[in-house]
Amino acid sequence: MNITTYYWERIKGHRLAMSGLAFIIFLILLAAIGPFFTVSPTVVNFDEKNLPPIGFSVEQSKFSSEAGSLITTHVRGKWEHPLGTDGMGRDLLSQLISGTRVSLLVGLFATGLAIIIGAMVGVTSAYFGGIIDNILMRFTDIMMTFPFLLLLILIVYMFGSSLTLIILSIGLTGWTGTARLVRSETLSLRTREFIMASKALGASDFRIVFHHLLPNTISSIIVLATLTIPGAILAEAALSFIGLGDPQVASWGNILNAGQNDIQTAWWIAVEPGIMLFLTIISFNFLGEGLRDAFDPKSE
Amino acid sequence: MSMKSYIAKRLLHTILIAWGVMTAAFFLMRIGPHSPADKYLATLGAGHNVSQVAAAIESRYGVDRPLYEQYFTYITSLLHGDWGWSFSTSMPVSDLIRTHWVYSFQLILLSSIVAILLGITIGIFSAARKNTTADHITTFFSFAGISIPNFWLGMMLILIFSVKLGWFKTYYDTGLPMFSLSNLYALILPVMTLATGMMAGYSRYVRSSMLENMNKDYVRTARAKGLPESIVLRRHVFRNALLPVVTIIMLDMSGIFFGGAYITEVIFGIPGLGWMSLKAVFSDDYSVVLAVTLIGAFVTLFFNLVADIAYTYLDPRIRYE
Repeated sequence: MNITTYYWERIKGHRLAMSGLAFIIFLILLAAIGPFFTVSPTVVNFDEKNLPPIGFSVEQSKFSSEAGSLITTHVRGKWEHPLGTDGMGRDLLSQLISGTRVSLLVGLFATGLAIIIGAMVGVTSAYFGGIIDNILMRFTDIMMTFPFLLLLILIVYMFGSSLTLIILSIGLTGWTGTARLVRSETLSLRTREFIMASKALGASDFRIVFHHLLPNTISSIIVLATLTIPGAILAEAALSFIGLGDPQVASWGNILNAGQNDIQTAWWIAVEPGIMLFLTIISFNFLGEGLRDAFDPKSE
Repeated sequence: MSMKSYIAKRLLHTILIAWGVMTAAFFLMRIGPHSPADKYLATLGAGHNVSQVAAAIESRYGVDRPLYEQYFTYITSLLHGDWGWSFSTSMPVSDLIRTHWVYSFQLILLSSIVAILLGITIGIFSAARKNTTADHITTFFSFAGISIPNFWLGMMLILIFSVKLGWFKTYYDTGLPMFSLSNLYALILPVMTLATGMMAGYSRYVRSSMLENMNKDYVRTARAKGLPESIVLRRHVFRNALLPVVTIIMLDMSGIFFGGAYITEVIFGIPGLGWMSLKAVFSDDYSVVLAVTLIGAFVTLFFNLVADIAYTYLDPRIRYE
């Protein structure tokens, strides 16, 4: 049995991790093929504003030009907009799908960037030691001292809030945990026989780092990456929620921001993106825990 | 190394990092596109010579002087408690902080008390019933509590309890005393919002720390003496399990603080530092945004130091390396 099959067998038994994985696969499919089956998230139609989801109905007062005054009407959800519409009549299902794309992009790229920087810093620090280690780790300490969200808000405030910039700033500020982890793992690997053997054989530093040290920390990195993704997704959503997100894209945080103002009249706008966000974050957390157990030889 | 020299070393490290934080903030400020002149120029009436006004403002704020001189002035004025000038409120940033920090502090204090008490209780309960249905259910809810975005939780609490049920219609009123009944009542939903994530996290820490200790020899000895399980758990396991939990809670504090409290204040309109900072972002009040970020970093440093020192006192086995 090869090692991948072995780990797969272990994680298959972890029910919560498997349901997390299933939901993540569903999200990826939704983001990939969803837009082909729904209307555009940017079509505005004021005749159909604030439609509730299917199965719900609300009382709405509208100005009627015939009666010349406000009349109260009973509005039901329509099948054209199964999850309802927002205050400008835009379809919520397609907005949520667009938000899924945004969140997955943020999760993937911001985490990827953070993991790469963190692994580089950690392995360099531990492998070379001495003054390099000291400088890099003090820099990591300084970065860690800034509360994550506050630093993000400061950067976005100063440099603008395009989605690319948000992804970059989450990646550039979120690497410190990885750096510490990779450093401590490398420190314990560095003195092991197989590293000494390759040194004795004349392997270059580059080769030792990329062929021997990093591959041996990969299981911890995978677990950490899985648990970093929800943090990145949440950070983007939080920024968008407080109004510092990219106004050009329909992200879950942006929809929630709009939903906050309409919470008295159209509760579904505030409820739906939050459910997506919550399920996404809990799925990654479950998967991360499952992976940690699977990789940990001590766990039962 | 003795404990005294260990603490001295930690202090020195903290000062070094604090200096690094201030320096990082300075250079972030310098590479950023914002200049103190922007704010004035935006409101300038017609007929002004823009470049002359900009030059005057830059000389007033010292941005035209050499970089090392600006850096020196910046560090010394920060150390003297001069955090700059808030354009949008026309007052010193330090005064602004002095009026607003108490509201953040109150929210965080109440939430921490709730979260620590409930989190520890749930953690012990869960550990004592390891692998039973009750344990699985609490584990599931802890994960839910950790994963639920606190701004969404806040909105859902508003939707359910204020909009639908109409129970909480009051808002935090700074005109009333901080601990007046009306303000405490208005804080119930915000505290629930902020405490949920913390509580879920702490209950997990307590549970795993308890379980780690339960298989140790001293516990087996206590059981072998014939002590009832509740006493073994309370007097033996819990006391030893608490140590790492205390440290984690302290290390966690500032993160939860300035992540969770910031957004909670914004949702519920509590005029603390987070609320103040976001208002400053939207009125382009640079020095306030920077000041709140720096305060966040300093509070983090403080708690790290306290956690470190507390650990050396609480655990005599610790080696000072």
